[in-house]
Amino acid sequence: MSGVQRPQGLVLEGLERRVGSNLVLDGLNLSVAPGECLALLGPSGCGKTTTLRLIAGLDQPSAGRIRLDGDDITRQPPSRREVGMVFQSYALYPHLTVERNLSLGMELRGLPRERIAAQISSVLELLQLEPQRRRRPAELSGGQRQRVALARALVRQPRLFLLDEPMSNLDAQLREDLRAELRLLLCGGPQPVVYVTHDQQEAMGLADRIAVLHQGRLQQIGSPRELYDQPANLFVAGFIGRPRINVLPAEAGCIRAVRPEHLEPLAEGGLPARVLLREWQGASQLLQLETPHGRWRMVCDGRVELAESFGLGWPPARELRFEAGSGRRLH
Amino acid sequence: MTLLLTLPALLLLALVFAVPLLRYGWLSFHADSVITGLQPVPNGGANWLRLIEDERFWQDTVQTLRFAGLSVALELLVGLALALLLHHSWRGRTALRTITLLPWALPTAVMALGWRWIFNDPYGPINALVQALGLPALPFLSSPASTWLVVVLADVWKTTPFVALLLLAGLQSIPTDLYEAFALEGGTPAQALRRITLPLLLPYAFLAVLFRLAQALGVFDLVQILTGGGPAGSTETLALYSYLSAMRFLDFGYSATVMLGMFVLLLGLTAVLLLGRRWLAGGRA
Repeated sequence: MSGVQRPQGLVLEGLERRVGSNLVLDGLNLSVAPGECLALLGPSGCGKTTTLRLIAGLDQPSAGRIRLDGDDITRQPPSRREVGMVFQSYALYPHLTVERNLSLGMELRGLPRERIAAQISSVLELLQLEPQRRRRPAELSGGQRQRVALARALVRQPRLFLLDEPMSNLDAQLREDLRAELRLLLCGGPQPVVYVTHDQQEAMGLADRIAVLHQGRLQQIGSPRELYDQPANLFVAGFIGRPRINVLPAEAGCIRAVRPEHLEPLAEGGLPARVLLREWQGASQLLQLETPHGRWRMVCDGRVELAESFGLGWPPARELRFEAGSGRRLH
Repeated sequence: MTLLLTLPALLLLALVFAVPLLRYGWLSFHADSVITGLQPVPNGGANWLRLIEDERFWQDTVQTLRFAGLSVALELLVGLALALLLHHSWRGRTALRTITLLPWALPTAVMALGWRWIFNDPYGPINALVQALGLPALPFLSSPASTWLVVVLADVWKTTPFVALLLLAGLQSIPTDLYEAFALEGGTPAQALRRITLPLLLPYAFLAVLFRLAQALGVFDLVQILTGGGPAGSTETLALYSYLSAMRFLDFGYSATVMLGMFVLLLGLTAVLLLGRRWLAGGRA
């Protein structure tokens, strides 16, 4: 009606949650555009699952607002938020078949039978679950269960997708396959996607942007590349990038850090290092080194033959600098 | 090896279950009463023929089934309500849990005496209440038409906690995220009860019914003390009849036959229940 364009997507404004005297989430601000996939990343207890539950309406914030496509949904009950959620445990109804797991929600909302059947069939086909449609969750493999959980979120055609560590119960190979599938299915559609994980590799592979949380506070939000190249602080630098970044002792109020993949052996001089362990990984090798600054990690080409002891160097441009007290990155 | 390891348990079962059963079976084909000088004398199938034509046996069968059916049904309903109440956390839950369990902890004989006093005509507290309201004292324990309901009430009071406890265990085995997923799909709590709680509670309810039915069909102590089977035999159960046959009429052969008749009845009911469960499970697949 009015010419004002309503902000699309999901917006969190100063979202806060207290449990007793404990501040679980401390004033979170962020937005997710339609079709954007945002990963909430952090160690356990950082507030990422709390955030997801607040967005779904399963818990109530102590302060702040949640907006979806311009509507304030902060006080709306979960049933009216039209959210498609995948639980870490999948939360499939054990007494119902795959088919009925998908249809139950639509039956509750009184959709016509033909439409339910058509929607279920298309989603089952999309996720290649057609042969399993009359099985119950107990008769499915882990990967199939995960796909049923995904199908249940998809079939309701929600305004928003929420995924809570959906792959933490799967083995590595399956996780890799499903990552691609998930990206094709969810991201790039009309809905915002919020994906909670503690696995930085998963976050980097799936998300358009990553929000790193630590102790209930947002540390940094940005593309995987920004987080890797320009971490906002020492925590993000340590959390993003595997193997972990190497940190030098504080010097004149400044902490310097170098990523393992930016280290190189020098012909002479440099930081003296002795090889403790060598992990050969095919294309590359991971070295555990003993240096005057403690145990360092280095990654280099798998074919390079290294001496037992050598000097370490790195291009100064690759070095990251942080303020000693606050941990903030210096420019 | 397997046989060897299960042997102690099998022996124990044989001792306490198979031996008495076989002995009863043997006894039911003998006359063993005052007339035979309390010595077993084979009498062919006379006991069994008598059982089939015994009106008292069939009347007691109906009364036993009526008692067991109504009390187990009520226990299931009240037990479910109690379990739901105890499952959700609220102030006073711990207190209610303790109070709920008390009747279960009480010996049946003691509580039966208690109920006999409560419903005493005309001195019991209930009749005192009735009379205080200006009504005539009611014959709670002396009406052939309705005294069995008092027995049901006493049984429900005592054994509902057992059913509630079983159902509570079932409720606590249902993961909370099922309810969260259900709420996110637009389900109300009332719908969650019907679509999630009750179906997932079904195996526990079956177990409770199976246990309770077996106990209720064999009810003895409660009836013996509360009504003694009266008035006019209207609350007599099969177990009581079998007891009276042996201990009052000293007819051990026929008492064994009544007991076995009850056993067959119980076996049949259990089979129907198990078949029903299988059918239900198949219907949901």
